Amino acid sequence: MAVYWLPGAVHETHAGGHAMTGGITDLSKQPLPEAITTEICIIGSGCGGATAARLLAEAGHEIVVLEEGRDLIGPERTQRDSAMYDQLYMDRAGRASHDLSVDILQGRVLGGGGVINTCDVVPIPEGVLHHWATKYGLEDFAPERFERFTDDALGDLSASRIPESLVNTANNKLRLGAEGLGLRGEVMMHNRVGCRGLGTCMLGCPVHAKRNPRMVALPKAVEAGARIFTRARAVKIGKASQEFKEITVRTLDPKGYHEQSELKVRAKIVIVAANAIASAQLLLRSGVGNAHVGKNLILQPQLAIIGMFDERIAAFDGIPQSYAVTEFEEEDNAEFGLWGYRIEGIMGTPGIVSTMLPFSGAAGMENMTEYDQMAPSLLLVPDAPSGQVEIGRGGQLTVHYEQREDHRTRLRQAVEVAAKVYLEAGAREVLVPTRPPLIIRSAREAKKGRELTLAPATVPMISAHQQGTVRFAASERDGGADLNGQVYGTRDVYVFDSSGYPTSAASHTMTPIIASSRMLTTKLLARI
Amino acid sequence: MGGVPNEASSREGLFSFLSRRRFLKVSLVAGGAVLGLGGGGLLALRGRAPNVDGLRVLDAHEYRTLQSLVEVMLPKTDAIPIDAASMDLPRQFDDFLADEPEQNVRDLQKALVLIEFGPLVFDKKLTTFSRLDVAERTAHWNEWSLSDNLLRRQVSIATRKFFHLVYFDQEQVWPYIGYPGPSMKRTPGVMP
Repeated sequence: MAVYWLPGAVHETHAGGHAMTGGITDLSKQPLPEAITTEICIIGSGCGGATAARLLAEAGHEIVVLEEGRDLIGPERTQRDSAMYDQLYMDRAGRASHDLSVDILQGRVLGGGGVINTCDVVPIPEGVLHHWATKYGLEDFAPERFERFTDDALGDLSASRIPESLVNTANNKLRLGAEGLGLRGEVMMHNRVGCRGLGTCMLGCPVHAKRNPRMVALPKAVEAGARIFTRARAVKIGKASQEFKEITVRTLDPKGYHEQSELKVRAKIVIVAANAIASAQLLLRSGVGNAHVGKNLILQPQLAIIGMFDERIAAFDGIPQSYAVTEFEEEDNAEFGLWGYRIEGIMGTPGIVSTMLPFSGAAGMENMTEYDQMAPSLLLVPDAPSGQVEIGRGGQLTVHYEQREDHRTRLRQAVEVAAKVYLEAGAREVLVPTRPPLIIRSAREAKKGRELTLAPATVPMISAHQQGTVRFAASERDGGADLNGQVYGTRDVYVFDSSGYPTSAASHTMTPIIASSRMLTTKLLARI
Repeated sequence: MGGVPNEASSREGLFSFLSRRRFLKVSLVAGGAVLGLGGGGLLALRGRAPNVDGLRVLDAHEYRTLQSLVEVMLPKTDAIPIDAASMDLPRQFDDFLADEPEQNVRDLQKALVLIEFGPLVFDKKLTTFSRLDVAERTAHWNEWSLSDNLLRRQVSIATRKFFHLVYFDQEQVWPYIGYPGPSMKRTPGVMP
């Protein structure tokens, strides 16, 4: 019987588990239960799933949570590129759009994306909520109705403004440049408590400073009796009887590489909260839902740009993302809601940074010798729904995504502005990691950003905020799930994650997902 | 490679863009040079690769292609005098592949064929990637990331992603890039 550390308490795991006795069971190591029957099965343990699990368990419902990743905690989070990208991310961090234009970062660990994100607390802006309520008829998202769920989410996250003392040199360079140019910006909100500034947020926090689902909602769910099964990949939702659904689950080996065996979970209610891509993938593989499922994918592709300084910056130490230039962000675009762009500091460990740099061979090695002099930023440019999750005849997942011209246009503008910001802050030059690379050494040269072609697979874009594949809509004609999150064409199969968003919710999706899961769970609790 | 047969259906890999149909199309568009030479000619052109013990997935030819690639992708320089070849990155890649779904492995093997015969297919040179000298190979490989051909850019991105990530994750490289290593070990009171 293993013992798992959780803040404030020690929880024991239970090999087989039985009703209303909470615990975490790693199916790669424990003998398989003969069968699992529960009232509610939640697929995915990230922000959406964990929040629902906690609220439903605390209300006395019988909950089983299935998570494909494992519970990787404490010093097991080694801060090393190879091991952590392999173990904490979907497809060993190899997931990408069909033409490799966009790397798709998706958590695969107990706690989901909240374990591997950079702790940015950004609620759904009021303009976006208004846009959803008026244009899409999502009345529960009207600002005055949704406010309390956002407040609760902020409470779950212990949200606070990042203290000045934790804004590192790299982020201060961004701020210095923005202030010099008179651009609006802010020190961001976060969900850390007791942060030691270890810098590797994207590889999981070794000291558990993140108040994420792993540290908050899941322990409370377990305390209230929820049973969590890790290394449990849900592959199909079928019908067992009039009353019960049957979820086919394949267990994985301890590393999560290979499927081992199969078991069935029977549940009256199924909540899918596995990420916008994985949730759609599961519904499509199950033949569940209408023609909207998988469509309207939002990837919100981001591009890193790097200010190269003559002095040591050591951006790898301290909070990697603490300052944002918000001057050019719009939250109430008539057609798309969230629009424009923002610029946020960022940094990664050497391995991942090197994969994004544009130089090859000796020039690439030379470039990396300045790793400690780099101050990178991410250009966060919201996109219109323009992708699709598809399942091939052999069952293979494909993430189709076409970058729209309006996204390219704003990305070029963001490159130009970010370059000017870093030059204002004293950067020797600004490196735009396109192929071929663009190096900007003066404000006048920043205009070259406008000429970037941004052709597929010439720009190392990443997606950390996938949304929109099972769009919420008041009518089956307009979306994949109703206003309760119930997938059209089903009874009691729900999506409680970012799959339901009709447009991009915010520049970061942790807070939106927790808040919307709280709202949907509250509605569910009123009906069961 | 293990796992149940339909495992690949749920996973997408670094090389999943490289479908068989796509690969053949690129080869044909490139002038039919590969097909024109025929199977026997290709084998002769590729020659024999030294035997390598203990590989789990790759064969000796594929291993040699990757060694040749790593040599130009991550060369030993004055700035970072660490020889990528000494890390045996191709073997680490072999280990990585051993736990990938079979379809991903097949895709990667197609990419390696394309790289090895790249000089013939794309430059119309009667030679292979591994036979080029370092300067020629470097110049040839640099063209992949800048090519008008999407597939070449994709292969460049995918291979770079693995080898760069693993190379710069090695402790012996860090002193040359100003990285003091994981902060956990150098922050008082963090390690248990």
